Amino acid sequence: MTPIIDAKNITKVFGASRSPHAARALNDVSVDVYPGETVGVVGESGSGKTTLARIMIGIESATKGQVYKDGHLLESRVDWRNLRLNVQYVFQDPFTALCPTMRIGAALAEPLSVHKKCPASERLGRVSEMLKKVGLHPDMARRLPVQLSGGQRQRVSLARALMLEPSVLICDEIVSGLDVSVQAQVLQLLVDLQKDLGISIVFISHDLRVIRYLCDRVYVMYKGEVVEQGKTGPIFENPSHQYTKNLLASIPGARHDKSTPVVQVTS
Amino acid sequence: MVDRVLNVEDMSVKYPGRGGLITVVDQVSLSVDAGKSLVIAGESGSGKSMICQALLGIVPGAGQVSGTRMDWRGKNLLELDEAGWRSVRGSEIAMVFQDPTAALNPLITVGSQIIDVIRTHRRCSRSEAKNRAIESLELAGFSEPAQQLRRYPSELSGGMRQRVAIALALCCEPSLIIADEATSNLDVSIQAKIVTLLHELKDKLGLALIFVTHDLGLASEIGGDLLVMYAGSMVEYGPVQSVLDNPSHPYTIGLLQSAPTLHSTRDNPLKPIPGQPPRPGTIGTGAPFVERCPVAVQGVCDRKRPTWTRVGAGHQVACHRFALDKEGGSL
Ligand SMILES: Nc1ncnc2c1ncn2[C@@H]1O[C@H](COP(=O)(O)OP(=O)(O)OP(=O)(O)O)[C@@H](O)[C@H]1O
Ligand SMILES: Nc1ncnc2c1ncn2[C@@H]1O[C@H](COP(=O)(O)OP(=O)(O)OP(=O)(O)O)[C@@H](O)[C@H]1O
Ligand SMILES: [Mg+2]
Ligand SMILES: [Mg+2]
Repeated sequence: MTPIIDAKNITKVFGASRSPHAARALNDVSVDVYPGETVGVVGESGSGKTTLARIMIGIESATKGQVYKDGHLLESRVDWRNLRLNVQYVFQDPFTALCPTMRIGAALAEPLSVHKKCPASERLGRVSEMLKKVGLHPDMARRLPVQLSGGQRQRVSLARALMLEPSVLICDEIVSGLDVSVQAQVLQLLVDLQKDLGISIVFISHDLRVIRYLCDRVYVMYKGEVVEQGKTGPIFENPSHQYTKNLLASIPGARHDKSTPVVQVTS
Repeated sequence: MVDRVLNVEDMSVKYPGRGGLITVVDQVSLSVDAGKSLVIAGESGSGKSMICQALLGIVPGAGQVSGTRMDWRGKNLLELDEAGWRSVRGSEIAMVFQDPTAALNPLITVGSQIIDVIRTHRRCSRSEAKNRAIESLELAGFSEPAQQLRRYPSELSGGMRQRVAIALALCCEPSLIIADEATSNLDVSIQAKIVTLLHELKDKLGLALIFVTHDLGLASEIGGDLLVMYAGSMVEYGPVQSVLDNPSHPYTIGLLQSAPTLHSTRDNPLKPIPGQPPRPGTIGTGAPFVERCPVAVQGVCDRKRPTWTRVGAGHQVACHRFALDKEGGSL
C-alpha cells in the first residue's frame, strides 16, 4: 500500500544557515501515514512536532527532504494547494487560528463557500450540525472568537477543519485545553470519523494516555529527531529510548501515588 | 498562623445579553492562604478563566464583576481604581494566561518583554533585570535561558511560549500566582519540573497559588484545595485528595470516569458524560447539572438550587441527592 502522506528525510534549519544562531529544528526526520490509520507524534516541547506538521501541509518549506502525497512528489504551488483541499491542519493555538472579527458561523461556512462544496442554502445546516458534533451549541455560530472560552475555541478550530471532509486530519495538541469529559467526546468523534469515513489522522500530543487510546502507531521525537517509532502497544509496554521511558514515568497518573517521587529528566 | 491572603465571597461575573444580564460566574466563594494552593477544575466554558480574570480586574468585554467581598491582603479588590489595580497586577498577583500568544507582544524580543516587566515593578538596573530575566527563564524550564532573550515569540514552539509566560509571572516574585492551564501544552517531564518549582516557591517563599487545570492527576500533585466548577457554579470544594478519593457530586464522578488512563484503548471506549452543558443564561432555578444528571431527584433537583452539604473535613458538595442520601431519607 502507498502511504497517503510520506515525508522523507526532512531537515529544517531556521534562519540563515550562515548565522551563528541558525537553529536546526528537524534533522532527517521521516514520517509516513497510511490510509485509515492514526499516527501519534509525541515529544518534548520544542522537539519539532509543529514544524513537521507545517512542512507536511506546505505552510513551511523544508530545508532538505521531500513530501509525497499518494506516491506523488509535491513540488509546485498547485500540488500543495490541491493537497490542502483534503489534508486539514488543526493549529496548536486556537487563539490565533480564528479571525477575531469573523463570527463563528461565518468562519465555519467559509471553507464551504471558498471551495464551493455545497449550495448556500445548505451551509447553515451543515454549520449547526458540525457544532453539535464537537459538543457546542448551534447558537455559538453567532458569537465572536473572543466570546468563547479556550476549550470552546479549540473545538471551533476542529469543526472548521472537518467542514471540508478531509481525508487526512493533522491535529496539533487539540485536546490539551479540554476537560476530560469533552476530551472523551472529541476523541470519540475522531474514532467515529475514522470508522465511518476512513480518514487518516496525525495526532500530535504530549498526553501519552490520549495517544495510547487513539493511535495505531507512534513516533517519539526528541531534539529534532525521531528517536523511536512503532506500534503504540509495544512502545508503551517496552520503550527502548531513555526519553520515552522518562515520559512514561512522569505521567501524572503514574506520579499520582505520593510515594513515587516526581521524575526529573536529566538534559 | 494561617495567613489568608485572598478571600472571595459570592463573586459573580455577568454579561449584558438579550433580555438582561447573563451570568457566567455565579456566586463563587474561595480563599487561599500563603504557601497554599487552590486547584480549579471543571467543564470547558464553566467560568474558570473568568474567575481568574476577575481576580486581576481584567474581565474581557462588557463583563461586570460583583460580590460581597474580594479581599486581597487588606485591600478590597472590588473598590480598586485603575492605579490601584496597576500596583497589584504583575507584582502582587501575577497570572499565566491560558493563551500565551496573546500575553506576549510579537514585535518585542522575549528578553526585552521580561526586562520591561521587571523594571516596571522593581527599581533595578537593566543588567540586574537581565540577570533576573535569565533566572526566571531557567526556573521556567529552559535549559539554555540566555539564548532565549534575543528571540521573538514567533520563533518559539507552543510549549516554549507557555514557559516564557510562566517566566513573566515569576520574574517579579508575586505573592499569588494564578496559572490558567499554564502547563497544558507542556510534555509531562517539563510539567513535572514546573510543579516541583511551584512547590518550592510555596514552601520557601510562602507563594499562594491558584492553578486551573482539567487534568485531575495533575491536580493531585499540586495539592491543597480543589474547586470543581460546572456551568458557572461551584459544585464541589475540598482538599484535593478528599475530593478525588471521595467524589460526591455526579459531575465530579462523571469527570473521573471519563479520564483516559495509560490502559485505555479504543476497545474499551471512554465514557464521556452524556449531553451538553447548559448555555449561560439558560440555567433554570434548579441544579445546574440536572439535565445530565443520572441520579437527579424529580421535583427537587429541577426546582431548587442545592446548597452545601458536608462530605468530610473541609469537603462540601452542592447536590440534593447527596444531601437526601446523607439524611437517610428515601423518596
Ligand atoms: N519561525 C521560527 N524561527 C526560528 N526558530 C523556530 C521557528 N519556529 C520554530 N522554531 C524553533 O524550532 C524548534 C521546534 O519548534 P516546534 O514548534 O516545531 O516544536 P514543538 O515540538 O511543536 O514544541 P511544543 O510541544 O512546545 O509545541 C524550536 O526550538 C523552535 O524554537
Ligand atoms: N467576552 C465574552 N462575552 C460573553 N460571554 C463570554 C465572553 N468570554 C467568555 N464568555 C463565556 O463565558 C463562559 C465562561 O468562560 P471561561 O473562559 O471562563 O471558561 P473556562 O472555564 O475557562 O473554559 P475553558 O476550559 O474552555 O477555558 C463561557 O460559556 C464563554 O462562552
Ligand atoms: Mg508545537
Ligand atoms: Mg479557560
